[in-house]
Amino acid sequence: MASPSPILRQLGCFRSLLKPQPQSLLQTGLNRRALSTVYSAKPTPKPIPENLPEQFIRQLPLHLRPKDPKARRPIPPPPPSAFNKCKDPVGAVADAQLAVLDPTGERRALFDYRRSQRSVKPGDIVRVTFKNGDPFNGVCLSIRLRGLDTSFLLRNQLTKVGVEMAVKVYSPNVESVEIVQRAASRKRRARLFYMRNPKHDMGTVENIVTNYIRQKRMLSGKKRAPVKAKK
Amino acid sequence: MIQLKTMLNCIDNSGAAVVECVNVLKKKRPATVGDRIVVVVQKQRSFGPDTTNNVGIANKVRRGDIRHAVVVRVKKEMQRPDGSIVKFDDNACVLVNKSGDPIGTRMNGVVATELRSRQWSKILSLAPMHV
Repeated sequence: MASPSPILRQLGCFRSLLKPQPQSLLQTGLNRRALSTVYSAKPTPKPIPENLPEQFIRQLPLHLRPKDPKARRPIPPPPPSAFNKCKDPVGAVADAQLAVLDPTGERRALFDYRRSQRSVKPGDIVRVTFKNGDPFNGVCLSIRLRGLDTSFLLRNQLTKVGVEMAVKVYSPNVESVEIVQRAASRKRRARLFYMRNPKHDMGTVENIVTNYIRQKRMLSGKKRAPVKAKK
Repeated sequence: MIQLKTMLNCIDNSGAAVVECVNVLKKKRPATVGDRIVVVVQKQRSFGPDTTNNVGIANKVRRGDIRHAVVVRVKKEMQRPDGSIVKFDDNACVLVNKSGDPIGTRMNGVVATELRSRQWSKILSLAPMHV
């Protein structure tokens, strides 16, 4: 490509410098903006003359009328907050219910496996007797610690069919909870749901429980069974 | 959760072993314990080696028969009024006739106590055990 000659470029530049008009246009715009921002003091409202008759004051717009300090609308105080009265109502109700359902705290100790050493633990064989008389035996698969709603899950096989029952610890229908047999070793899981698989299923625990009942009956004349926590 | 196509074990001595649910009666939702369903017998129980002495008991139902049945065990957990939860490892039913009497005369297997509240005391009394 042929490079443009430097003389031509020079000339072109020179011509643009000679052009007078376009710059002045921009200049006028600048000037106009500067004019608009000239500071002017806020107009001070003219004081309303003293002892103006009432009918004249009423003709003034609201914001110009003289302010009467007595005419302010009274703001009522906020109603007392219920939060300050009772910070944790649900907890209070739960505590009150626990005091009724478990006054001695024995049930709580029997299932609070995080704190209590002698509590039921997953893997233990547990026997629950209900108020209506029929018992349920099973391996404890899990203990669900939820305050008042604490429950435990038992699994057993009755007539070769697996049956699971989750019982609320503080249910008034529960007459007694007994630990029939401790787990042989500490389980490494908190929830033994793998015991539902046929490979790990314990089968029925009825024979262990009948043995325990027989032993208990034999001992009951002399002393109470050692592993027994009855409410 | 017994609904169309659910396969159930039949735990009476009517002759059916496995049945398939084809309809849930009086309900727009899946059936649970105590509900009446319509079933098709899919597999017959063979009263073979263990009951050779009483060959006289013929199967009262045959494969392909359409019968009414009452659900007695469900896998789906059931909540009792006191908050406790019961579930079984299988779904099972008992065949009944149109008037609600069980077809079989014996039952083998545990059933749920909920049957009593659903007026199926006759089935409950036949069962060897209830939970």
